[in-house]
Amino acid sequence: MSRYLLTGATTPIGASVIRHLLAAPDTERILAVGNEPIRPTTVEIDGRVRYRRLDLTRERNLRELLYGPCREEGVEVIVDMAAHRRFGATGPRARALNVLATRRLLDLSADHPSIRRFVYRSWGEVHDVGEALPSLVDELHPLDLSPDAPQWVRDRVEADLTVCARMAMSRLSIAVLRAAECLAPRTGSQLHDYLGAEVCFRPMGYDPIFNLISEHDLGRALALAARSDAEGVFTIPGATTLPLKEIIRRSARIDVPVPGPLMTPLYGLRRAVRGTSFDYRLNRGRLHFGVVLDGQRAKRLLGYAPEVTVTFPKD
Amino acid sequence: MRQRRTLLQRALGRDLEARADALAGQMGDGYDCFGASADGTARALALTRGLYERWFRVDSAGAHHVPSTGPVIVAANHSGTLPFDAAMLHADLLRRTDPPRLPRSVVDRFVPRLPWFSALVARAGAINGTRRNVEHVLATGQLLVVFPEGTVGIGKPFAERYRLQTWRPGHAELALRHRAPVVPTAIVGAEEQMPILARLERFHAFGAPYLPIPLVPFPLPVRYRVRYGPPLALHRVFPGDPRDPALIRAAAAEVEGAVQALIDETLAAREGVFR
Repeated sequence: MSRYLLTGATTPIGASVIRHLLAAPDTERILAVGNEPIRPTTVEIDGRVRYRRLDLTRERNLRELLYGPCREEGVEVIVDMAAHRRFGATGPRARALNVLATRRLLDLSADHPSIRRFVYRSWGEVHDVGEALPSLVDELHPLDLSPDAPQWVRDRVEADLTVCARMAMSRLSIAVLRAAECLAPRTGSQLHDYLGAEVCFRPMGYDPIFNLISEHDLGRALALAARSDAEGVFTIPGATTLPLKEIIRRSARIDVPVPGPLMTPLYGLRRAVRGTSFDYRLNRGRLHFGVVLDGQRAKRLLGYAPEVTVTFPKD
Repeated sequence: MRQRRTLLQRALGRDLEARADALAGQMGDGYDCFGASADGTARALALTRGLYERWFRVDSAGAHHVPSTGPVIVAANHSGTLPFDAAMLHADLLRRTDPPRLPRSVVDRFVPRLPWFSALVARAGAINGTRRNVEHVLATGQLLVVFPEGTVGIGKPFAERYRLQTWRPGHAELALRHRAPVVPTAIVGAEEQMPILARLERFHAFGAPYLPIPLVPFPLPVRYRVRYGPPLALHRVFPGDPRDPALIRAAAAEVEGAVQALIDETLAAREGVFR
């Protein structure tokens, strides 16, 4: 497979996927799609990449994309990474991109003349976290189906399950990659936003373990999945496994343990005043009980193993 | 030039420092998927040193029965109101295995909810007792430590001391599936350290099953005796489908019998609770 459609291409991870796909000599064409006016840098340096600015929430746009440029270019693989990154993006418009666009892409690809494979970038945050659940998370780990979960999580779980439901029911070969958190700007990382403050409040008495993936490794995992035929769900771990206190220290931030009940008002206030994205409700489980993704299946079937650790300011 | 020793190095002493260094050589300077670190293990050794050497004066025998490599399950009795017996067994395995092996002691599911304590035990190598976690430990050839009696054993009335309570069979199933030897282990002394007066069954702070009311506010300086028995190759004694409930129960009963026999033998040889 050598012709790809990549949604969410203007994110740092999108750029990383493009770089990894271009590194393969048999890659002939990458159709990169984003909703930003600027084009990714890689477009300008490699003639194999074509960038289109497109609002994926409009069904007509999707139909025209798939039966226009995608058919003309003979796209074989879709790598779907488009999602609202900001926690504050809620309501029907956010859901239209987070869930409905993915569903329509799948519907339209099902009888497309050239598309044969669909790779969906899912999130480690879809996993349920709790004291009674394993700290080592594999593909069979329960997802967070709590009705109290914020829309950010609910949308991601719904999209993930929407893609999973098509497995073996469609002629498409489908892979879902549930990746560890990528600690980088503009990736939707809650932890990155958390560490954006000079002072990081931490639930007193808890120091959970976090597994983090670098942009490089996540891009590589998605590129490997795009080039593979392996189907099913894959958990994608990163090379960095550290407790929260150590992450705060390496990020040159001030660690302030506070009683758990104060976390919600403190971070609610921060969000209201500073307009930041970190929401304690979304991260309550992760800030108490550590989880690490198990990448055995990804290693066996995709040939993926984490290589590059996350770089912190104090490293 | 003579280098200044750190507080941790001084707390460990020369012998334990050498063991901590050997473990650090195996573990590297990072954190594993359960949050264990070489530094955390060294801290656990330092923290338990006073209790192990001075307070409980742990007398250990048979640690050579613990295989030096590969998956293995150490199954022990559990008692004493508060889990000092687990801490002493963890410390004993860190001190006595050769080369030193990191014990992955299974803690009850409410333990991760306990502030401070959860982080402390995780850094020292303890894991939450979910199936996925213990499966990973054995699949990667590590040393698993289980207390099949669970909280029922640790909270049993003084009148039932040294009588094994409901012996859960999960460890036997794991041993059969992973072909891991089981080392039956007896801990004698813990039953008398802190007899339980009452259990407040309606008190569930941090998810604990009950709140124990001990007779004394701190553990008595009883002498601990830890005895390891010869490893049981359950997969050889009980060939067949490792999912068969009858087979699993029979294998668990074999381990239970071996642990009870070790307890009885150690009790018979004991000259006194404090000696």
